[in-house]
Amino acid sequence: MHRPGLPSILAVIALAAVLPAVWRSGADVQAEILIWATYALGYNLLLGCTGLPSFGHGAFVGLGGYACGLAQQKLGAGLIGSLAAAVAAAALLAGLCAVLLAGRRGIYYSLLTIAIGQVCWFTAQHWHGLTGGEGGLQGLVRPPLDLGVAGIALADNRAFAWLCAGIFVVVLLGLWRLIASPFGMALQAVKQNELRAQFIGYPVALLKSASLVISAAIAGLAGGLLALKDHSAYPNVMDLHQSGQVVMMVLVGGGLVHFLGPVIGAVVYFGARDLLGGATEHWLLWYGLLFMAVVLFKPEGIGGLLRPTQTPPPEPLPGSPTPLPEAGRS
Amino acid sequence: MSDLIPYLLQGLATGLLYALMALGFMLIVGVMQVINLAHGALFALGAYVAVLGVLPRDADEVAPGLGLWAVAVLVAPLAAAGAGAVLELGMRRTYGKDALYGLLFTFGAAIVIEEGIRLVWQSAGYGVLPPAAVGGAFTVGGVRYLLYQFVAAGVAGAAIVLLWLFIERTRTGALIKAGAHDAEMVRALGVDLGRLRLLVFALGCGLAGLAGVIMAPLRGLRPHMGADVVIPAFVIIVLGGVGSFRGSVVAGLLVGVVESVAGRYVTAWSQLAMYLLLIAVVVWRPRGLSGRISVLER
Amino acid sequence: MSAALMTVAAVHKRFGRRVVLEEIDLAFPEGSVTGIIGPNGAGKTTCFNVLTGRFRPDRGSITFAGEDITGCSPRAIAGRGIARSFQQMNLFDDFSALDNVRLAVPSIRRRPFDAWGAVAGDASATGKAQAVLARVGLSGKEHVGAKHLAYGDRRALEIAVALAAEPRLLFLDEPCAGLGTAGIARLSALVASLKGAITLVIIEHDLRFLFAFADQVAVIHWGQVIARGTPAELRADPWARAGALGDAVESVPEAAP
Repeated sequence: MHRPGLPSILAVIALAAVLPAVWRSGADVQAEILIWATYALGYNLLLGCTGLPSFGHGAFVGLGGYACGLAQQKLGAGLIGSLAAAVAAAALLAGLCAVLLAGRRGIYYSLLTIAIGQVCWFTAQHWHGLTGGEGGLQGLVRPPLDLGVAGIALADNRAFAWLCAGIFVVVLLGLWRLIASPFGMALQAVKQNELRAQFIGYPVALLKSASLVISAAIAGLAGGLLALKDHSAYPNVMDLHQSGQVVMMVLVGGGLVHFLGPVIGAVVYFGARDLLGGATEHWLLWYGLLFMAVVLFKPEGIGGLLRPTQTPPPEPLPGSPTPLPEAGRS
Repeated sequence: MSDLIPYLLQGLATGLLYALMALGFMLIVGVMQVINLAHGALFALGAYVAVLGVLPRDADEVAPGLGLWAVAVLVAPLAAAGAGAVLELGMRRTYGKDALYGLLFTFGAAIVIEEGIRLVWQSAGYGVLPPAAVGGAFTVGGVRYLLYQFVAAGVAGAAIVLLWLFIERTRTGALIKAGAHDAEMVRALGVDLGRLRLLVFALGCGLAGLAGVIMAPLRGLRPHMGADVVIPAFVIIVLGGVGSFRGSVVAGLLVGVVESVAGRYVTAWSQLAMYLLLIAVVVWRPRGLSGRISVLER
Repeated sequence: MSAALMTVAAVHKRFGRRVVLEEIDLAFPEGSVTGIIGPNGAGKTTCFNVLTGRFRPDRGSITFAGEDITGCSPRAIAGRGIARSFQQMNLFDDFSALDNVRLAVPSIRRRPFDAWGAVAGDASATGKAQAVLARVGLSGKEHVGAKHLAYGDRRALEIAVALAAEPRLLFLDEPCAGLGTAGIARLSALVASLKGAITLVIIEHDLRFLFAFADQVAVIHWGQVIARGTPAELRADPWARAGALGDAVESVPEAAP
């Protein structure tokens, strides 16, 4: 995965910071984009970085939303507390899932995550006592951000968008740092050649589990923010189609090959929703076709266009043979 | 114990319909190593095109005649097969690449097809009555059964038998079986692999469409209806073992019974039983009841 | 010769009903070079796979530096200082040559959950990686993506990744495969430089290359060691000549002193 340099990251941060300031309308949409960009970045740690295709990540988002809401309503938690509950709940669920998912990859991994996602969705739909069933949790408030010396009210949408921007920046920087670390490089190694990573001595199973837990924690955080944004938490975010949305976003944006792909994907998705959605109620059909075209013709997505051209190799040594097909088994 | 019998019977009837659906899914997985996430959407498409395209507007109040229904039952698989053929042609670019791309492509197709259904026929659900001739009910042992449920199972059963005959007794069927085992070998025999794949994919999708139209009077029509049947299909093919015809039928019956019986004890949670069954199977016996390695592990 | 760094005793391995390794007895003295030869399908790579932990032997034991490592995972075995290269190259194709090697450097490999430190900024690890690349002849190509390297360079990188782990025992699986004379010359220089410092076990078909370095050679055929000895002894051994090597043995010139 291409890791952009600091200037690109600073540019994205600047955009995230400046946008709520200059673009004074649509703070609700801005918050939504920032939250989904955060979610997508976390998701891509699992897909683009580690190579594990989860189709059930909506379960973590949904659980985060419920945990945040319940912490607030049943435990009287403030902002930090309810968001922390969201992160913890999602991370815990991911830890359990990691046990089920151990040793799987590819299609089996996807199938299992679909099933887990559906189980969570179903549970949320029917466990009225806890989740409010189809009606969801209602009446969530946005507790003020308590900085010790002062409290910042978040009831105003713009203030809330600033909070989302702040969290987005923290996650962006954290993940940007992470993919250059031994842990991040190890995850990418596991994606490219799990066998070799094992033989070099990396704890592949633990690495995959850690990747799942971190990406789920970020999804849970996003879920908590979404619940606060909408003042409610619903089960439908756990549905397969919703879980698939983040997959589509990340792919179109180029998350498979570029660190910023998920962010680009989120912007494109919501841009499409606003632009196309203005023209037709069925904009998802056109976005879906776009997605299919990307899968077919340009799986590296938009991010693939932004990578620097690969360093051309120097001239081969004189006398080097032309490549032979790999030798047979011995 | 005997009060379970109605659930067992209904479970078996539903199971045959699930088996029909799963067989189409399994053909595609087995021969092409593609998980067709659009299978549910094609199930829905077949139902919608047939019911809302062929049957009269008031079919939810006035039972259509057998003749019209027969046409509908023919149109549904054809429509689904047609859409499937288009999909397969589009999907060719993903062959040879990571299987994930095929999965993503069919996922996108599922969304596009479902949105397309919403575009043409709106998002509201529709009901439809079975043919007048078989729309009644009968009572056995103090329990009232819907006649159509068993007629539907019978039609599904007949389709399964025809499919079996096709695969076991025709040359094309033999090629399909061979292709599931070794695509390279089939190509080496001079068979046009592209046409075979197109046929198999269209056939698999056609079976989904057929299941859709047959189940329509039982479950109604909703744009999202496909999602409810994709999971049972997964469970069935994993449980029955990919590539095993008999396994799919047996697993289909088993799943139908499990869902029905689970529904007797905790009504709303019969669907949950399905998902939990899938998790249990994939975690503990991913090779199905037979224990043979499937293409999913390659 | 010095004491055996690794001993393999009566190792037996089967897959289903097929026995692939039978009564394998081997000893690799410290600092020596052992060659493993035999026809394709004889079980040589399977032997490597068992010795490096990919498969667990059904019977027998493997001892390394006095400790029993039978059945240890590849990760545990790597941790003890055993590394291997692969016959079918297993590289990280999206990484540069430098990143490929740096991943295997012990100081990086030992902290897989360090999510904060920057690998590229680690001067000591980078220095070691660059040194290994220089050793295999890839200086100047550090930032080339592994998938863009020429075949001979990929082969060199394959070995570099194994070397970077600073192993005590290094398994090389057909390192000469597909290389031309220049590549083999590079490889010979490398093996010569490693000899004595690291214990080497090399599977090879290129006998001229192998016999120049090997202190001892084992012939594996039908999953068994059918002959063993120094290169000179093998040239005289009827089993080695008739069974595994055929007339190829005769054509290998005496090793230059």
